[in-house]
Amino acid sequence: MLAQTTPVIVPDTDEDIDLDEPWQVVVWNDPVNTMTYVVYVFRKLFGYDETKATELMLQVHHEGRAIVSDGPREQAELDCFRLQNHGLWATIEQ
Amino acid sequence: MSHFTTIDGKIEVRLSSEERLFLGDVLPLLAGIGARGSDPAADRLQVPVYLDDPEANEEWWRLMGSDLDAGRRSDRAVFERTISTKGTVALSNDEADAVLRVLNEARLALGARFGIDVEEDHDELPEDSRQVLDYLGWIQEELTLELMRAL
Repeated sequence: MLAQTTPVIVPDTDEDIDLDEPWQVVVWNDPVNTMTYVVYVFRKLFGYDETKATELMLQVHHEGRAIVSDGPREQAELDCFRLQNHGLWATIEQ
Repeated sequence: MSHFTTIDGKIEVRLSSEERLFLGDVLPLLAGIGARGSDPAADRLQVPVYLDDPEANEEWWRLMGSDLDAGRRSDRAVFERTISTKGTVALSNDEADAVLRVLNEARLALGARFGIDVEEDHDELPEDSRQVLDYLGWIQEELTLELMRAL
């Protein structure tokens, strides 16, 4: 999955990978998904209360994207799966 | 009056015969989605998850794509049972969630094929296209609100 280099002399030259940094799941604005639906999905999948879910939805709407969860890569990939399964446009980044 | 009411922990669905007929078109629409690159609906439903890493994206879809497809097939089966039943249907929350995801998937697929890139594009659509999206959106909104009550 990762384009792993082979560190021989200097082991930390690969700036693309930082095992200590959490991976972030980003939801992007979409012209078709409704605000109510997005709030519902955030509440259901992440257990956020209405205020937090609404804040994230509005951030997606106004700023084009919002980080909705972060953690180890495996968790980010699973969260991304659950969001995709609900039709939200979700990506993973570090 | 909403099409959906929660009674004794179940969500009761009431659709007229005309609505069930109309919603029946959703399934062939989704079954007929083509391949990425040739059908905007497929591009929308299979978006890249690693924007700067095509290799990682390909790997994610290799690992997760079949599960996603299986989930969507399962959702559509619930949807089909729901709209095929005359009169009132009582759904569990999980089943209602499946119906909700299918309604949303249909709107995403249609929106992509209609060329909706920004929200304002919706208002420029031909009236019949707009009506289809608005009806699906109306039903979806009602069901979302009903499911939200159970959270």
